[in-house]
Amino acid sequence: MIGSSRFPIPQGTLDMLVLQILSLGPAHGYGIAQHLQQLSREAVQPNQGSLYPALHRLEQKGWLKSEWRSSETGREAKFYSVTRTGGKQLAAEKQSWDRLATAVQLIFDEGR
Amino acid sequence: MRKLWNLIRGKRMEDELERELRYHLERRVADLRESGLSEPEAHRQAAVEFGGVTQVQEEVRDTWVWCWLRDLRQDLRFSRRILSAHPGFTATAVLSLALGIGANTAIFSFMDSILLRSLPVGDPESLVRFAWRTRQDEVHGMNRHDDSYLDAKTGYTGGFFAYPAFELFQRNSALFSSVIGYQGAGDLNLSVAGQAEVAKTEYVAGDYFRGLGVAPAAGRLIGSDDDRGGAPRVAVISFALSERRFGGRAGRAGQPVLINNLPFTVIGVAPPGFFGVDPAMAPDLYVPMHTQGLWEPSARGPAAGGRFIDPDFDWVDMMARLRSGVTLERAQAVLDPQFAEFERTVTKVRSRDDLASPIVLDGARGLDGLRRTYSKPLYVLLALVGLILAIACANVANLLLARAASRRREIAVRLSMGAGRVRVVRQLLTESVMLATMGGGLGVGLAVWSIRGITLLLGLHADLNWRVLAAAAALSIGTGILLGLAPALQATRVDLAPALKESRSGDRRTRAGLSRALAVAQIGFTLLILVATGLFARTLSNLESIELGFNRENVLTFGINAAQAGHRAPEIATFYEDLRTQFAAIPGVRSASLSQIPLLGEGRYMTMVGVPGAKPKGSLIMNVGADFFSTMAIPILLGRGIDERDRADAAMTAVVNRTLAKEWFGDQNPVGRRLTVSDCPKCEIEVVGLCGDARYGRLKEQFPPTAYFSFAQWPVEGMTYEMRTAGNPLGYAPAVREILHRADGRIPMADVRTQRSLIDGLINREIAFARLCTAFALLALGIACVGLYGTMSYNVARRTGEIGVRIALGAQRWMSRGWCCGKRCCWSRQESGSASSFFWRTRALRQA
Repeated sequence: MIGSSRFPIPQGTLDMLVLQILSLGPAHGYGIAQHLQQLSREAVQPNQGSLYPALHRLEQKGWLKSEWRSSETGREAKFYSVTRTGGKQLAAEKQSWDRLATAVQLIFDEGR
Repeated sequence: MRKLWNLIRGKRMEDELERELRYHLERRVADLRESGLSEPEAHRQAAVEFGGVTQVQEEVRDTWVWCWLRDLRQDLRFSRRILSAHPGFTATAVLSLALGIGANTAIFSFMDSILLRSLPVGDPESLVRFAWRTRQDEVHGMNRHDDSYLDAKTGYTGGFFAYPAFELFQRNSALFSSVIGYQGAGDLNLSVAGQAEVAKTEYVAGDYFRGLGVAPAAGRLIGSDDDRGGAPRVAVISFALSERRFGGRAGRAGQPVLINNLPFTVIGVAPPGFFGVDPAMAPDLYVPMHTQGLWEPSARGPAAGGRFIDPDFDWVDMMARLRSGVTLERAQAVLDPQFAEFERTVTKVRSRDDLASPIVLDGARGLDGLRRTYSKPLYVLLALVGLILAIACANVANLLLARAASRRREIAVRLSMGAGRVRVVRQLLTESVMLATMGGGLGVGLAVWSIRGITLLLGLHADLNWRVLAAAAALSIGTGILLGLAPALQATRVDLAPALKESRSGDRRTRAGLSRALAVAQIGFTLLILVATGLFARTLSNLESIELGFNRENVLTFGINAAQAGHRAPEIATFYEDLRTQFAAIPGVRSASLSQIPLLGEGRYMTMVGVPGAKPKGSLIMNVGADFFSTMAIPILLGRGIDERDRADAAMTAVVNRTLAKEWFGDQNPVGRRLTVSDCPKCEIEVVGLCGDARYGRLKEQFPPTAYFSFAQWPVEGMTYEMRTAGNPLGYAPAVREILHRADGRIPMADVRTQRSLIDGLINREIAFARLCTAFALLALGIACVGLYGTMSYNVARRTGEIGVRIALGAQRWMSRGWCCGKRCCWSRQESGSASSFFWRTRALRQA
């Protein structure tokens, strides 16, 4: 594992990452994929296609909303943005992630 | 809802998804080419990075459908778990709804089949029916079912016409494509392969089936050639009879049968669901109109066969089918002068200044006798069952309310864990719709069962049909949504923090008001139904205690028709009289007599009666034998009754009742005065006696003017014997049969009844409605009790902890019991009472 620069990400985590990226501003699917790659310094690289079921699932849940508008290249693209509930959800997930991470860190520190 | 919408606009979403994915791939290819890859290489690389496009599309589609279905499945599973976790609650709610919906579906089925449904014939919209109207009560001929009635405003309406009038209508072929004549024949004796049974029979004119547009289920139906004097004797049977007696299709047409001991051939079977033109009648057997002379020459009317030419004897019931383009108004306009001419020139007995005028009515629903008789009671019943449903709904609402209160905490937890408000409301709604659906399903089952019961009780016919089922479904789902919505919305409008901190008991203050109102409404509705039941029962007891003018107890009645066995005048009168003396001699028989029909139970005969030189008026008439008045215990006030002296060759005599005497002779002694009767214009009839008023034909009207004649002095057909007996009248039937068999073995003894059961038959409907109402009242009471008990026990169960604390603090057990009971008894004082007790207790605690 240590040698590998890529590892598969659990579904819930992907949702959280997508929400996080979109909280910075609206983006289309390709943009999100690029962004993910840059943000995680290539460590997290999902199969790009699997991004779309996640986007649609989040949209169905009402955490994302979408609209078609022209992208930077001038072509029409579907842009996603975070809804209010989506924002709350992200906050809640961040919090619980923080708690989990802190707890895990504490346990690791203790063992040191 | 949005997900459902997604499913519907699937096509657009597919297109958008495809565009979205294509955009991604093309951007990637472009980027890769910019970084120096060749075109095919870039395509390959992009495809590898992306993964299978089809697979991604599949997965996305899954999220559309599955999100929705998964939520639904979760809701359903969760609802089921919740409901089965509280079996008492679920049972109470489902049972309440089932009873409410079941009763409503049953009554609605009857309304549908009696008030709303059209005749089961082709193109019912073009059917019309006829009636006539005069200013006063005037009947010549039959008045067999409730088709004629007197209305204070419109005058007298009659539904029967003379045969020549029927022919007159038939001649209007420019208006009508066919004119349909028919007449109920009552119960005839049908014998198939040696097995006899009573069959409800209808006389039908030749055009009946063709005109109604009915196709046979087997064989052929009666046509014009079958309905004329001397034609071969044929009959058509109903589908139900064919199934019952002939076992389905085999050998129905061409089957020889005996009808009233005369050979007939069954030529065909009417289609299933065809009940004739009157939903109340539903005949088993149809025979041509002209066969009527074979066994039912009218006793008072013209001689057998003569009624087909007599313009003054009304007996044909009529409908017609309008030609296309002909309106009711046009038909009315054409018929008016024709019928007026007929009345003026052809009829003889109708009073010249009050001739009947015809009315053309919409005939799509058949005869309205049944509708007129049953519509009001049915609306009353519908109101009752509506109230029952309201009680049931109040039950469920109260239960759901109490539960929503107790679930505030649970809902608060779910909301705080991130469940959407809509999602929670939806879950609660699913729960109540599930309850309603279960209630509705069970209710339809109950309805099927109770329709059968009511059919037996009222003798009406109804089926559970799709319309009724839809109404029940709408009712139950609507109830569910209505009931689910209020508590659901209330429950989610929760301030989370206090709700989470709240103890398990929930806050009762907010819901106490609504819950109390519901309970009070329930009790109120139940009371209302009980009062209505009381009224029905009161009506029934009034009817049962109505003054008859004769003694109904211990009277055996039965019919004997010697004319059918070939006895003719004048011998037939002697035959009947001989039988009477023999019956009177049976040990235990106090006296025996005979009359055309029983006083109550088989209708009545009417004609115009007057005194010489005055315009006659409509009155009831009855031909009786010797000892009639003593047998029926009708008092003779002056003179004598009809007796053995009033033979065919003696001077014609009559006995009049008090009302008739008052009408014609005032306070003077009627004995020795003369009467005229329109049936026999030349006869001079002497009044020999005055008798007390007695009910005849109908129970509920004023005592009608009635004249009694000696049967021997008028044309004689079948007669009804009355025997006053010691002890149970039916016990004497074997002795009678024995005597009759010895006198003439060909004559059967028909309609063996008691006068009492005949009268009960008249008030059948009232008895049935009183019983139904009682059943409904019990139902309402039951539902209300179950509901109140359910709500109360639920509340108490939820507060077990509180009660425990009270007892621990020193309250006696009886105090808590009293607290629970008192709450139920004086509901209105609950709030103040328990509040003050709480106050008192907390103070005591603080002091301690």
